[in-house]
Amino acid sequence: MSEIKDSSAKAEESRTEKDWKEAKAAFDNLKSTKPRPPKPQNAVTIAVSSRTLFSMVWERKVFKEEGVEKYVAHHMDHEDEPLKPGAAFPFVKALMNVNSRLRELYPDSEELFDIVLMTNNHAQVGVRLINSINHYDLAIERFCMTGGQSPIGYLKAYMTNLYLSTDSKKVKEAIEEGIAAATMFLPEKEIALSDTQLKVAFDGDAVLFSDESEIIVKQHGLDALFEHEKQFENKPLAQGPLKCFLEALGKLQRKFYAKNERLNCPIRTYLVTARSAASSGARVLKTLRSWGLEIDEALFLAGAPKGPLLLKIRPHIFFDDQMFHIEGAKEMGTISAHVPYGIGQKYNKSKLIEQPEQPAKKESPKKI
Amino acid sequence: MVSTVLNTDVKQKDADHAVVIAVTSRAVFGSGADDDEVYGEGLAFPLLQALQRVNEHLLMNNPAELLLFDIVLLTTDSQQQQQSPRIISSTRHYGLEVGRFCFSSEEDFVENLLKNNVQLFLSTDRNEASQATQRGVLSALLDHQTASCPSEQLKVLFFGDAVIQPDTGPTPPSRQAARSFSAQLGEMQRRFTMSDSPLSIGLVTWRGGRDSCADALHTLRSRGVRVDEAYCLAEAPWGPILSVFRPHFLLSDGFGGLEG
Repeated sequence: MSEIKDSSAKAEESRTEKDWKEAKAAFDNLKSTKPRPPKPQNAVTIAVSSRTLFSMVWERKVFKEEGVEKYVAHHMDHEDEPLKPGAAFPFVKALMNVNSRLRELYPDSEELFDIVLMTNNHAQVGVRLINSINHYDLAIERFCMTGGQSPIGYLKAYMTNLYLSTDSKKVKEAIEEGIAAATMFLPEKEIALSDTQLKVAFDGDAVLFSDESEIIVKQHGLDALFEHEKQFENKPLAQGPLKCFLEALGKLQRKFYAKNERLNCPIRTYLVTARSAASSGARVLKTLRSWGLEIDEALFLAGAPKGPLLLKIRPHIFFDDQMFHIEGAKEMGTISAHVPYGIGQKYNKSKLIEQPEQPAKKESPKKI
Repeated sequence: MVSTVLNTDVKQKDADHAVVIAVTSRAVFGSGADDDEVYGEGLAFPLLQALQRVNEHLLMNNPAELLLFDIVLLTTDSQQQQQSPRIISSTRHYGLEVGRFCFSSEEDFVENLLKNNVQLFLSTDRNEASQATQRGVLSALLDHQTASCPSEQLKVLFFGDAVIQPDTGPTPPSRQAARSFSAQLGEMQRRFTMSDSPLSIGLVTWRGGRDSCADALHTLRSRGVRVDEAYCLAEAPWGPILSVFRPHFLLSDGFGGLEG
């Protein structure tokens, strides 16, 4: 009888100890000095995938060669080893810096960046992801680990303003659903970036603007475009997939201007376009103005390569719809993000990419 | 009055190893017109089918498997009791894998749950679920956002805030029931690999941030439950996330009634 009592007393004791630990943890959680994440409807929500946030090249290899079970087991075995930073890491740090500055000026406002981890990974891999986030003290409190399910529904549920992934299929799907998105690439070199100012560079056509002009270039060449644009200078271009993200950045910038911080604003935006200032530049600037949007620096290259200029700017992210611009930027160390939108996807430089024969079609695909 | 009728169409499960789940007939069958012999499909119909699919997969892997869902169809009021022949015939009509039918009234349905060693009680009625919880039976409320999801997999969602909630006193019986049920789910899950599981276990945390979610993941891991999908809301609105995940039911330690 007493033996049963002893063992039950011991069980009671260990349960009480555990309960106490749980209570303390819950209390500590409540008293956390971490700022509360803003409500999704007030925030500028940036969703990043695990492979943009962290570099998982080796793990990816395990996944491809040995399958999902081994891949998950590998992560679990190395759970306490933080992952290395990925392409979106500097961007995330820069967003965090903007948030600190915004909180200083507007302590009660929820108009902040909210960074959400949006990953297809299995939740067991998630433990290592959380540990890594803790290691770098990143301000990421929300996540979706969908265990293989599509993230699109969740992107919408979080009212995502920008989605970054290394998977171009998912990015395309997001864009088709009206969510600004881009495929991130790790640069081939590491270059020093500002830690006081978030710098975002955008290509113009098929990124901020629709691909209507891009179509003219592909069909008739750059000179034809310049002529066309002069003619239609006063007609605003249609919006592109990243216009709303620029708008969101502009809204946050104005909060700094309202507090006399224009010179010290921690967000700077750049337009880096192949257009020429003399002929086709005006239409772009007028379009932006008609949208009520500002861009801090507009750089017209008139067809010159973008790489060297981007190296001078050193953006935390550079959006472009054409892979050859992305490749060029990457080579020189710029963190680039491909926007798979518009006619540019069917071309490599100025050559139409031959589409593979569709088995069901009877007629050969039309060539522009 | 309480009565139990065995469904002779279905092979009875091993009482020592099966996981007994009671679902109310009101949840499973929609209302049919009086002169129809058979009820229409109700809210929880897809849920039942998902439970059945888990059993099928378990038996495919091991024909001698004893760890299976044993589904009990429960009527909880006297009015429905009178419909018992139709409930039985409808069940047979759809070929539902219901092991037995339990008929009772509002006053004694909980007795029926306890007598039948029910490990999870699923109902569309908040009062019923609450009563069962108070008597130590793990319960979950079914509604239109859950239950009726036509997913191939059985999708169970754990509400993490409850998983790590500290007890103020001795462990309530419903919490113990939750722990043993989740351990059994974990056991079932281990019969499958990640890529071919008919059972998907999700975790959602609302209060706190990533650390709360990490704690809940660890707690469930220690109970032998391998969480497949995890959602850390950090106080973001529930509804949109839940409507994408579409669990068949939501479990918290005790009664999982999530408002809003």
